[in-house]
Amino acid sequence: MEDTDMNDMLMTRNSVGSEDIKISARHVQVFYGDTHAIKDVDVDINDKTVTAFIGPSGCGKSTFLRCLNRMNDTIDIARVEGEILLDGEDIYDKRVDPVQLRAKVGMVFQKPNPFPKSIYDNVAYGPKIHGLAKSKGELDEIVEKSLRRAALWDEAKDRLDQPGTGLSGGQQQRLCIARAVATNPEVLLMDEPCSALDPIATAQVEELIDELRENFSVVIVTHSMQQAARVSQKTAFFHLGNLVEFDDTTKIFSNPEDPRTESYITGRIG
Amino acid sequence: MPTSEHIVSSFDRDLEGIQGLIMRMGGLVEEAISDAAKALDTRDVELAQKVRAGDAAIDALDQTINEEAANIIARRQPIARDLRTVLTVFRISNNLERIGDYAKNIAKRSEAIIEHPPVEGTGASLRRMARQVELMLKDVLDAYIQQDADKAQDVRERDIEVDQMYSALFREYLTFMMEDPRNITTCMHLHFMAKNIERMGDHATSIAEQVMYLVTGELPDDERPKANAVPMA
Ligand SMILES: Nc1ncnc2c1ncn2[C@@H]1O[C@H](COP(=O)(O)OP(=O)(O)OP(=O)(O)O)[C@@H](O)[C@H]1O
Ligand SMILES: [Mg+2]
Repeated sequence: MEDTDMNDMLMTRNSVGSEDIKISARHVQVFYGDTHAIKDVDVDINDKTVTAFIGPSGCGKSTFLRCLNRMNDTIDIARVEGEILLDGEDIYDKRVDPVQLRAKVGMVFQKPNPFPKSIYDNVAYGPKIHGLAKSKGELDEIVEKSLRRAALWDEAKDRLDQPGTGLSGGQQQRLCIARAVATNPEVLLMDEPCSALDPIATAQVEELIDELRENFSVVIVTHSMQQAARVSQKTAFFHLGNLVEFDDTTKIFSNPEDPRTESYITGRIG
Repeated sequence: MPTSEHIVSSFDRDLEGIQGLIMRMGGLVEEAISDAAKALDTRDVELAQKVRAGDAAIDALDQTINEEAANIIARRQPIARDLRTVLTVFRISNNLERIGDYAKNIAKRSEAIIEHPPVEGTGASLRRMARQVELMLKDVLDAYIQQDADKAQDVRERDIEVDQMYSALFREYLTFMMEDPRNITTCMHLHFMAKNIERMGDHATSIAEQVMYLVTGELPDDERPKANAVPMA
């Protein structure tokens, strides 16, 4: 029947994603002191794919996201168990340098947090400390390329020496994305990147995410069901520290398996 | 299946409101089928005229439902089962509207037929066929309100009986026409009326499929059983 394709139609452009596994998490548990924040989570994050994490406040989305680039190391009481492999390598191995890891697995936070420096320096900082540029010319190139990728170049090119904090909220968020992509990461983690943005800036960031997935694997935490449906190909639903359901976004938003998922995404009392 | 309420209760009221409109429309359409067939059988011109006039109300409901459903999509951005609820509302309303058109056409032909001498037994047999479709429609609307996929499947399977009745009537009219050419005008009308009722059955079946989609998230993938309709001329 022609009617079959209704749901597909709504999300066709989201239907393609790579099948190669970029990050593989097994039996991941996170404790904050006595709080058991993540309970035995298994998940595979595909390469060149946008994966959305959704779930009610406090369910552990940010906690799990932070496991993927060891940001939880910076929290004293946090304890992470289980195994997380990036391209088959255990990222919690003693030989792995967390700073190097975070260059490969970049992060964009909920609130835009540019350094109190010029736009140029915000973007150039990472490549400088990781020694990615041999000359000023090369650094200029990286800065321009990153700002272009973050769709900020046209607005910023004439004011590169002005402070990043002088940009609008949406521009600041794109600056943070430029900063995150400047080190040429393989994975980009985004924790509610649009929650402080207006609809236009949100649309720009979403467009950017869609472009980024040509080169990166993107994981985004969002409270907007519509945003998850728009930008991601895979969606994971977390509830009370458990990964309840993980599937193609199309499936999750048209016909989820678990009643808890359906209750959550349709805005019902669970 | 989450049957619990939305946190935003006005969303529930919107969805219930639009489903209420579907049921109201369904009631009018059932009555139109029944009255159109009765008008033919009892040669009641006034009743036939009433059916024709009544179609405007059905069309108006269809339009209201479409507007309401579009509003819900714009304002609530429904997903999952909520989205299916709204999508099926569009389709079911459209099916009902078409059934209403067929009933109106039957009424119009009844008025034309009544001017000619009756052909023995034809009114009653057509009325039986209409009754069959009317029951299918009633049951499928019950299945819709009760969200009962099994009941919908049952209606879907009954369409084959309507197809068979249509084939039988088709042969009967052919015989009458060959027996006496004066029957031709009446029997041609009767044939179109039987065809209209057969199409109503298809629309009731389509509603049954929408109910199954609404409840399970999937349309039935098997081919519906089909009777060999008409020996193709
Ligand atoms: N630094 C911390 N110290 C102690 N407990 C924490 C810490 N961070 C998070 N938690 C606890 O871990 C659980 C998961 O929190 P997390 O921030 O991962 O949730 P979330 O899904 O991101 O929620 P939100 O949608 O509100 O951002 C919560 O119970 C929270 O209180
Ligand atoms: Mg969080």
